[in-house]
Amino acid sequence: MENFIEVKDVVKQYDGHIALDHVSVNVPQGCIYGLLGPNGAGKTSLIRIINLITKPDSGTVTIDGHPISEDDVANIGYLPEERGLYKKMKVGEQIVYLARLKGMSKNDAQREMLQWLERFDLVEWRDKKLEALSKGMQQKVQFIATVLHKPRLLIFDEPFSGFDPVNADQLKVEILRLNEEGSTILFSTHNMESVEAVCERISLINHSQVVLEGRVDEIRQQHKKNIIAVDLQKDEVLQPCDELFTQLPPAMGNKETLIRLNSGVAIRDAIAWLNEHHRLNGFHEILPSMHEIFIETVKG
Amino acid sequence: MEKLKLIIAREYMSMIGRKSFIVMTILMPVLMILIISIPFLVGYLNDAGSDVEKVAVIDETGRYGSAISNTDLFEFIPMRADSVGNPHEFYQKSGGDLAAVVVIPRDVDSTAQVTIYSENTINVVMKSHINNALSDTITRAKLASYGVPRLQQMIQESTVQVDVKSVKWDEAGGETETSTETAMVVGLVLALLTYMFVLMYGAMIMNGVIEEKTNRIVEVIVSSCKPFQLMMGKIIGVALVGLTQLAIWAIIMGGISMIAGTVLGVSALSDPTAVSTAGMPAEAVNMDMAEMWKALMSVNYGYILSCFVLYFIGGYLLYAALFAGFGSAVDQASDASQFTTPIILIMVVALYAGMACIENPNGPMAVWCSIIPFTSPIVMMIRLPYDVPFWQLSLSIVLLFSTAAGMVWIAARIYRTGILLYGKKTNFKEIMRWIK
Repeated sequence: MENFIEVKDVVKQYDGHIALDHVSVNVPQGCIYGLLGPNGAGKTSLIRIINLITKPDSGTVTIDGHPISEDDVANIGYLPEERGLYKKMKVGEQIVYLARLKGMSKNDAQREMLQWLERFDLVEWRDKKLEALSKGMQQKVQFIATVLHKPRLLIFDEPFSGFDPVNADQLKVEILRLNEEGSTILFSTHNMESVEAVCERISLINHSQVVLEGRVDEIRQQHKKNIIAVDLQKDEVLQPCDELFTQLPPAMGNKETLIRLNSGVAIRDAIAWLNEHHRLNGFHEILPSMHEIFIETVKG
Repeated sequence: MEKLKLIIAREYMSMIGRKSFIVMTILMPVLMILIISIPFLVGYLNDAGSDVEKVAVIDETGRYGSAISNTDLFEFIPMRADSVGNPHEFYQKSGGDLAAVVVIPRDVDSTAQVTIYSENTINVVMKSHINNALSDTITRAKLASYGVPRLQQMIQESTVQVDVKSVKWDEAGGETETSTETAMVVGLVLALLTYMFVLMYGAMIMNGVIEEKTNRIVEVIVSSCKPFQLMMGKIIGVALVGLTQLAIWAIIMGGISMIAGTVLGVSALSDPTAVSTAGMPAEAVNMDMAEMWKALMSVNYGYILSCFVLYFIGGYLLYAALFAGFGSAVDQASDASQFTTPIILIMVVALYAGMACIENPNGPMAVWCSIIPFTSPIVMMIRLPYDVPFWQLSLSIVLLFSTAAGMVWIAARIYRTGILLYGKKTNFKEIMRWIK
């Protein structure tokens, strides 16, 4: 898979404070990519550089193989974390205006807008001022304005914040659909559940540096703690076996028995031993959640 | 360029469509007319409802009692001193029928003193009417007492009011009559127009910038265009809004004055006495109109208006950029005063300097203030009708436009940092760092 966005060795400083310290991120074409990190880690700085809102002090950004330039804004759609539109402007005029700023023609913008308004059940609101809409509807309008010009790169900063579960689901469906239609998607979020649910790859930024990068499944494999959940026959109690594993206290709300393998012990050896000494119904390896990996990495 | 046009169009349409704009545009001429007509209205209302008040004139001399003529408001009743007795008792006996009692003492010829008694506050109009009437009559009586035949007439004939005409020579010695007063008024009007326009629409730009920032839409917009385009779009868009407003006002005012002119003109022609009762013979009024017209025409409008447009654009750009830059540096309008106060102060200084220059339009202060870019758009307007030397004019314009360009550059640097910065108290020191 070719890289659609390549951020190479980017440094950005503000008033002596380093926001990005030699950051490199590669976003493959057609990927849903998560940009993770605690508040103030540098995510927004990086997004603003990819968006051409600010320039890096050093380092390069390429898009689709060429250095990013003013002409590329038409290929980018950006939904900032702090949502905002003109309150006194009519919904339809606003969407068309923002699309035209991205280089779309007026007619195209109007045609596309109608489809999106229908999809989100907002057609009757087209000639209303934005301030007359509920917060959820305003968010949808902003989403439409972000994607209307069919950008090849979509940047969503905390896209689900402020949406109720029903609307958040609808939004997720639309984002996945846009991805299937070919858009590369860059997520910035600290909602780890959504990362596991939709992202293929992530970069974790902490203290202005990329501290973790790669495929979500691979990262979870790398961070596994050799913990296995074993399902024993009812009433059976696990016998200790210090050479192979130690038993862990059960996780909250879960009756499975958890064991951690000693280092160097293969799963099959442990299972063989368990089969010998117990009647085993089944077992599965426990992979750490992205949430755990995030906290571990950031705190560690 | 396409994006700049889009932004200008949005700014323009969004402001033109606002209720506040429409109300302001219609209300302003109405207000102006009201303000102009208040003195007339007040006079009319004053006269219309009130009854005629009676004033007793107690004349101890026996000569001047009937000298005070009645007016629309007051009826003066001459009384002989011996028939009245004590003025206070007389006043009280009238049972509120009398508004006041005027006592003309026996020795008025030498002391020139008259007293008005009343239990109420004395009406100023009455006082001045009595003053005028008695001064006139007593002066005439005194002149007559000298016994010189035709003295009165001689004095009148020897009173001279000198009419100073100003004539301007061109290099070939040709003469044009000029009017200093008209020049002054034209300059003052243009200066005030610039002052008002810059402050009003500068504030509008600043509010627009702050609004976009607090709305957070600015981040979406600058991901589609350059911050500079957004800023310039706003500055130009607001300027167009202002010019539209001025044009509408000009049309409304023009229409009203044409209607008023026709109505007044017709009534003056059909009823010459109506004008003459205003204190001047109709002839004199006509002559004054003609003089005024001539004076108005003596101003070189082509020259003054083209200079005005140049200074107007330069001055507006200079200050609008400042307002936009500072607007981007704050989170809400209430934080902006630390930046706007100095701007307004400079503008006020410019206006006062301009006023002061009326007295000496070619003095050193006038010259310097009309060259310094921050004051020149206002002060030069005052000087323009008085023939500014070419080198001063060109130096001033070049300085103004290069400063305006510099200011736009500086504002753009403040703006692109300011619009993306939230929750930080910004001060001048901080802003200086952004510019570097």
